[in-house]
Order: sequence, then structure tokens, then C-alpha cells
Amino acid sequence: MVSPAIALAFVPLLLTLIIKYRYYFVLFYRAVLVRIWKDCVTGLSREERAFQYVLTNSTPGDPDSILDAFDYWCSKVEFISNIGPKKGKILDRLLLEQSPLTVLELGAHCGYSTVRIARALPLGARLYSIEMDQGNAAIAEKIIRLAGFDDDTVELIVNPSDEVIPRLRSDYNLERLDFVFMDHWKKCYLPDLQLLEEYGLLGKGSMIVADNMLFPGAPKFLRYLRKCGLYEWKIHRAMLEYSRGIRDGMAELIYQGIK
Amino acid sequence: PRPSHFSPGDEDFQENHERQKHKGKRRNGDRPKNKRENQRRKRSSNSEPETSEESEDEEEVNNDGEVRPELLSPEELEKLKEAVDEKKKLIQSLRGKPWPMKQKLVTLRESQLFVEKYEGALGKGKGRKLYAYKVMMTKKWKKFQRDFENFKTACIPWEMKIKEIESHFGSSVASYFIFLRWMYGINMILFGLTFGLVMVPEALMGRPYGSIPRKTVPRAEEAGAMDFAVLWDFGGYAQYSVLFYGYYNNQRAIGWFKFRMPLSYFLVGVGTVAYSYMVVIRTMARNANESGVGDDNSFNFSWKMFTSWDYLIGNPETADNKFASITTSFKEAILEEQESRKDDNIHLTRFLRVLANFLVLCCLAGSGYLIYFVVRRSQKFALDGLENHTWWERNEVNMVMSLLGMFCPMLFDVISALENYHPRVALQWQLGRIFALFLGNLYTFIIALMDAINLKRKEEKVVKYNITMWEASLYNGTGSENSTAPPVTIHPADVPRGPCWETMVGQEFVRLIISDTMTTYITLLIGDFLRAVLVRFLNHCWCWDLEAGFPSYSEFDVSGNVLGLIFNQGMIWMGAFYAPCLPALNLLRLHVSMYLQCWAVMCCNVPQERVFKASGSNNFYMAMLLVILFLSTLPAIYTIVTIPPSFDCGPFSGKNRMFDVIQETLESDFPAWFSKVFSYASNPGLVLPFILLMVLAIYYLQSTSKSYREANVELKNKLQMVTQRLDNFVFLTSYGSDFILNA
Repeated sequence: MVSPAIALAFVPLLLTLIIKYRYYFVLFYRAVLVRIWKDCVTGLSREERAFQYVLTNSTPGDPDSILDAFDYWCSKVEFISNIGPKKGKILDRLLLEQSPLTVLELGAHCGYSTVRIARALPLGARLYSIEMDQGNAAIAEKIIRLAGFDDDTVELIVNPSDEVIPRLRSDYNLERLDFVFMDHWKKCYLPDLQLLEEYGLLGKGSMIVADNMLFPGAPKFLRYLRKCGLYEWKIHRAMLEYSRGIRDGMAELIYQGIK
Repeated sequence: PRPSHFSPGDEDFQENHERQKHKGKRRNGDRPKNKRENQRRKRSSNSEPETSEESEDEEEVNNDGEVRPELLSPEELEKLKEAVDEKKKLIQSLRGKPWPMKQKLVTLRESQLFVEKYEGALGKGKGRKLYAYKVMMTKKWKKFQRDFENFKTACIPWEMKIKEIESHFGSSVASYFIFLRWMYGINMILFGLTFGLVMVPEALMGRPYGSIPRKTVPRAEEAGAMDFAVLWDFGGYAQYSVLFYGYYNNQRAIGWFKFRMPLSYFLVGVGTVAYSYMVVIRTMARNANESGVGDDNSFNFSWKMFTSWDYLIGNPETADNKFASITTSFKEAILEEQESRKDDNIHLTRFLRVLANFLVLCCLAGSGYLIYFVVRRSQKFALDGLENHTWWERNEVNMVMSLLGMFCPMLFDVISALENYHPRVALQWQLGRIFALFLGNLYTFIIALMDAINLKRKEEKVVKYNITMWEASLYNGTGSENSTAPPVTIHPADVPRGPCWETMVGQEFVRLIISDTMTTYITLLIGDFLRAVLVRFLNHCWCWDLEAGFPSYSEFDVSGNVLGLIFNQGMIWMGAFYAPCLPALNLLRLHVSMYLQCWAVMCCNVPQERVFKASGSNNFYMAMLLVILFLSTLPAIYTIVTIPPSFDCGPFSGKNRMFDVIQETLESDFPAWFSKVFSYASNPGLVLPFILLMVLAIYYLQSTSKSYREANVELKNKLQMVTQRLDNFVFLTSYGSDFILNA
């Protein structure tokens, strides 16, 4: 019905789309297709494969080598959405500036970001890491202990974050959180932030860092930030972990307190 | 509390200046005044201006509170004059004083009051009332002038819309709309010319529809002449109307005041081109004057630091974006500076650039071939008869041209990422490539059209033969051989027609413009509006952030839109001779475009991430417009000069060449000596030296302008040296003294 000439006229459009979004196609291939293939072939989950690799290729007790092993695996073998080396440097810098004593991490996943944060903590600080999924939590626990952080420094809590946060003050005797790192489900950023505010766990000057602001993005969270006026916030722009060409950002919030 | 009856609510320095000139005489006052009041006034006139106000309260009894000069002694008059002069000097120099604004305003008001009150006293005696009258008239005239200026500014169409867009999006997006408005002005004039001098005379004074064969729908087409589909394609009644060339009669003079229709048609055609050239070149010259500063390659970072901000931005989001873009441009400038120091991998860069150009050439060649192929196919369809084909097939050419014009620039943009140029250079390359694409498409279209014209001309010979046969058969049928028999009345619709290639050309251009417009609007609605609606309303139930990632709101593509506008205008210039309705159509299109695009920009677009200043590209667009004007008038001129007009339609039918109408007019309408003069003037022996003279004049002007430019550069260098020497001098004197003191 439609002539071949008109169909040919659409070829430049197709080429443009393919070239412009090539990084997204590559990401899709690595994060979805390769994962499904490897799941079928090996029968292990992705995190278990990562753990096996890290176990064999890193030095126990040395957090740097564990992180390097993770980075190598995620960039060359498969893709896991850790925070990655570039954004990790931004996180390290923020931690060094803030020097928090009580840190909360929402969403440990494999434990990469937990190790990263624990590495940059000052003496006497304590990190509480919340992870919802049992399997991931088991692997994260192993990785954290492999890195040499004991129970004094890092405590892993295996429960959904919206159940834990209300009980932080009562069960764990936390008065104020100096630093919060959010890297769990993007649609939970806003409810968890509001829970933290509600239970008074944030004080003036507390820093909250939220990952993946641009890709996949947390639009409601951003909209809330712009409107509520309780935070001084800015977005650190960087690239998505382990891929070139896809932009991403981390939001850094500093709680100002209710006026 | 200031007395309110004093008029100087206007801080107009010029008025005071005017009053200085009119130190005229004042009329002797009528009202009696006590000496005591005058004395108080005299005393107060020499003291602070503030106290003069208190005495002025008492003068509310009199009108204007003027001083009686005859009551002052000469020394007092002298002192008064000095005081008034001093106050005037103060007013003149007030702008340059380093005082806070409030203090300046207070001083200004007081000085003006003082001057106004006491200046009249300086004039002597009688002429006071005349002087006052003159002053009042001057003031009123100034006010009227200012109001008129305000009115003129308010009359500029769409000014508020454009200012709003500028505050949201920055000056480069606004420059597109200013360009659109300027084009609208040009098209208004072209419309005035074609409508007033071509379409209206033929419609009012020419023979009406249906009176002669060329003005009537042929019997065969009558059935479908009113169908919307036929009218949309500009056939049927639309074709046989003043909108197209074929309707016009070749009668030399029409109407009761003998309007020379064919002459007017020809001259309007030439005049539109001449006017367009004049306007474009005048605007280019004006822009060249304004952009005198030029790009200095020294002090890059200082320029960026002090001149990057766009003070017309009024919207916080745009300001954020501008801030981010300035930061990015700093980062890029630093990187560029670093990279220019080390220059490795020049071969890789060169290879990539050559590769990119090769890919672009392939794309251009591909698109050219596709258009050629499609046009050939449409000619085949035309030979088969257009009714056998679907709408898609009939409009294939226009659709393919519009689609290619939309998609290929995106591909060029993506390919140019390989080249790694500075963004401004990359933009110029991009514009050049889009220009080449549009030009290639247009000229392929024209070549195909030429084939169609030749086909029609061949058909003409056949039809001429057929018509003579038909006429012979007609006269045979009535059975009389001599011409005294009553002529057979045949309805004009039944007379066989000659083919009219000019109308066909006009129709093709009109169809092309319409399809281009439709494509633009549909792309706007789908690509911008629908996308914005989807992003806005699907965002809270989608897995990734639609606003920050793909597809996000679209940005306004300034260069693409400007080029589209320029090429559209080129098509108008090309086709206006054969379809006088084109400027009218374009006027309507620009009008609708202005409103639609203003709405779409404010509603669906976000400010660009890379915010470019528009001033540098203004002359670039004008230069492109000039080139397009030249290139689009070429085919029209070629057809006018080489191809004989159709024998059966249009104002030049029956002539050998279209420009013969000039010859005819010179012979019949002007006295004999005029045509002799003209024939001498158009002698090649006279024309060639004249052309040579013009070429030499251009060369001379070019070389003088080059020498002025070099003189400018030298002066700049000298200035730099002088300031440097001055700096050294200042340094030495300020620190030198230290050395001497401490030594």
C-alpha cells in the first residue's frame, strides 16, 4: 500500500535513532539479555556469580581489592548496578567532607556500596545497612565480613526499609543520622525520606545522598525536593556506572530543619 | 511635602537645555506683589534649594510663582543668573557623579524646580508670556514625540510574545521569531504587489470567468471541478482562477483606464525579485555595521567571564540552564586549551573527519537519487492517468521530499559527533550540510519539472494541429466558405485546449509548499506536543524518569527552523511568477506559523542545554538567504528567457518570448525617441563597458575595506602596546617610590 520510496525515506530516522541511543541498546544487552542467558546456563543468580568471582579474585581483609574485583567483573563480564568507580569517588569525597558518625544505607544489594562507605568512615563511626532481599543480604554479609569490617562498624539489617525506619530510634537507639545513602528502589525514595523526616531522625546538617537521579530517575522525589524547601540540594552529574554515554546523577541533600 | 502644582514630573534634561536656549523676554507681570515677598524670595534664591520650596508655598496665590525681574537689582540679577547656570551645569553632569541614586534624584528635582522658577526672571520684561508659551509648546511637543514613539513600539506586531519567549528561552530562540516576523514583513510587501497589481485588476477589470476558453473549466473536468479533493490539489475551479498563470488573458490593455495587464504581470515578477534583493542586502549591510567587534582570540576566558550572561532572561529555570551552560562552556574551553597544547592523534581526528564527510556525502547522494527516482515514477503515473493511483502514490514526491528534509539533518547531527569540532564550528558545518541537502532536493525537483515542461511543449505541437483540424471541421459543418457567415457559437468549455506548462509549474510549487507546511505542523504536533503530553502524563507510571531520560521534552531547534523558513521563501521566489497566489499563501502560512510555534515553544519545549548567542549567526542566515534568493531566481529567469510561453494560456500567449512585452510597450506606449534611447542603451557596446565599470568599482571598494580592516587591527595593537606601557609606568611609579623610600 505504502510505496517503497516512502519507506526508504524513513531509513535516516532509523539510523539516527540507532546511533543516538546506542549506549542504551548496549546496556539493555548487557543488563538483560546476557543476564537471562547466564541465568539459564549456570543456574546461579547474578549476585552469586559476582560473589564467586570476587571471592576468587580478591584479597580478604582488603576493601580496595574487593572493590576493584567487583568493578572488573561488572564492567567486563556482566552488569550489576552498583554505584561504580566514578560515582563512588563523589561519594567518598562527600563522606570525607561530612565525617559522619552514624550512617544509614538503604539498599545494600551486593554490599559494594557498604564496603565503599565503610572504607571512608572515621574512627568510631557506625554504618547501618538495610537490605530487603534475603539472598542479596546473605551475599552482602559475606562480602562485608570478607572486607574485614566487623560488627562494630557495619550492621546489616534484613527487612524492608519502611518497616525498619520507624523502629530505628526504639530498637537501635539512634538519635540522629549524620549521613543517609539511598540506593534501593527508586519509587521508595520519597516515602522513605518522608518517614525519616517524620520520625525525627534527621538533624540540621544531615546529608542525604540519593543515587540514580537521572537514569532511571526518581521524578516524584525530585518534585518533592523542589517544592518542600526543607533541603539545600544539588545534583552531581556523572555517567552511569560501568557504561559510557549514559548520563546519570546523584542528588546531595542537606537537611535545613523546619523553619 | 512637595508642592504638587509644579510640573517637572519629567526628568528631561533636554527640556532644560531647550529652556537654556530660550532665554527670552518675559512679559511684565500684572499681579501686584509685596516687596517683602520678593525680598524673601531673593534671599532664598541665593541659599539652599530646599528653602526655596518653603517660600514657594506662599506663592500658590500667584500663577507659576514667577519672580518679577523688574523688582530685582542688577547685581541680584547677576547672582541669580549665576545660580541658575550653576544649577543647569549640575543637572547636566549629574549622571556622571558617583552618588547614590536617591541623592541624585533629590538633587535633580530640586535643581529643575529652581531653574524653572528662576529662569524666567533672567529674560527681560515683555516677552515673558511668549516665552512661557514657547516653553509650554516645546514641552508638549516633546511629550507628543515620546508618546508617538511609544505608540510605534506598541504597534510592532507580536512584540510582547517575542519578549516573553526571549525571557524564557534566551536570545537565540527569540532570534528565530524575529526573523520570522521580518520575513512576514517582506511577504506582506510581495503580497501587496501581486495582489494589488496582478490579481485584483484581472479579477475586476478582465473578462469574467467563463467568457473565454482559458478561463473556463473544460467540459471533461467539469464534473469533478468542485470536489474537495480536486480543489485541495489545486485543480478544478482553483486552477481556472486568478490564482494561477493560465487564467490571465493576453489582452494588451484592460478596463476603462487601459491597465496594461501583461506589462504589469511581467514588471511585478521582476519587481518582487528586485525588492527582495534590495531588502536582503540592506539588512546585511546593517547587521555588518552592528557586529563590528569581531572575535578576538586573545583574552578568551576574560570575555567568557564578563560577557556570557544574557540579561534578557527572566525565568528561573532558564537562568539555571544558562548558568549550567556557562559552566560547561568554561570546562570545554579549559579542555580545548589543554588539548591545543598537546596535539597528538591529529591523524585519527583527520581520518574521522574525512569519514564523517564521506558518510554525509553518501547520505546526500542517496537522498538525491531517491527524489529523482520518485519524480520519474510520478511522471510515469501522470502518463498513465492519475486516477488509477492511490493518494499515497500521487503525493509521493512531496511526501518523500518533506520526510527527507526532516530526517536527514538528524542523521547529520549524529554523524558530526565523530568530528569532534568546537560546537560553533560544528553548527556551521551542520547548517552547511542541511543547506546542501535542501538545495540538492530542490534542484532535483526542478530538473524533473523541466522534463515535464518539455513533455508539455511537445504536446503543444500536437494540440495545435488538432485545433486547426477541429476548427476546419466546425466551419465545414456550417456549410459556408466565406467569412461573412455568422460565427458558430461554441461554449468555451467545449473548445479544445492547449497544454499550459506554466500553470502546471505553479501548481507543483503550490502543492510542494502546502505539503511542506502540513509536514511541519504535523511534526510539531506529534514530535513536540504529543511527546510533551506523553512525558507529562505517563511519568508517574513509567519505570524510568521520562523527563530526565528518553524521550524528555524537546528543545527548540533554531537552525533547522531557520533553514526551513529560508528554503520555504526560496520556493516562493521560484514559483511566484507562475502562481501569483503564492505570496498570499505564504503570508497565511507565516501568520499561522507564528502563533502555532509561539504556543508550541511556550507549551512543549524546554530551554536548550547549550545556549548560543544569536548575534554571530545573524549575518550567516542573511547570507544564506541571499544565496537562496539568487539560486531560486535562476530557474525562473532561465524559463522566462529560453522557453516560449504557451500559445493558449496566460498573459504572454501569442508572443515569442515573455520579455517581448517590454519591447511591445516601448514601441506602442512611449514616444519614438524613448525607444530609440532604450535601444541605444541596451546595445552590447554600452552594456559591456558598464558591467566592467561596476566590476572595477566592486574591486576598489573591496580593497579599501580590506585596508580599513588592517588599519583597525594595527590601531588595536597600538592600543594594547600603549596600555601595556601605561601599566608598566604605573607599576614603576607606585613601587618605584617604595624602593626609593626603603632604600
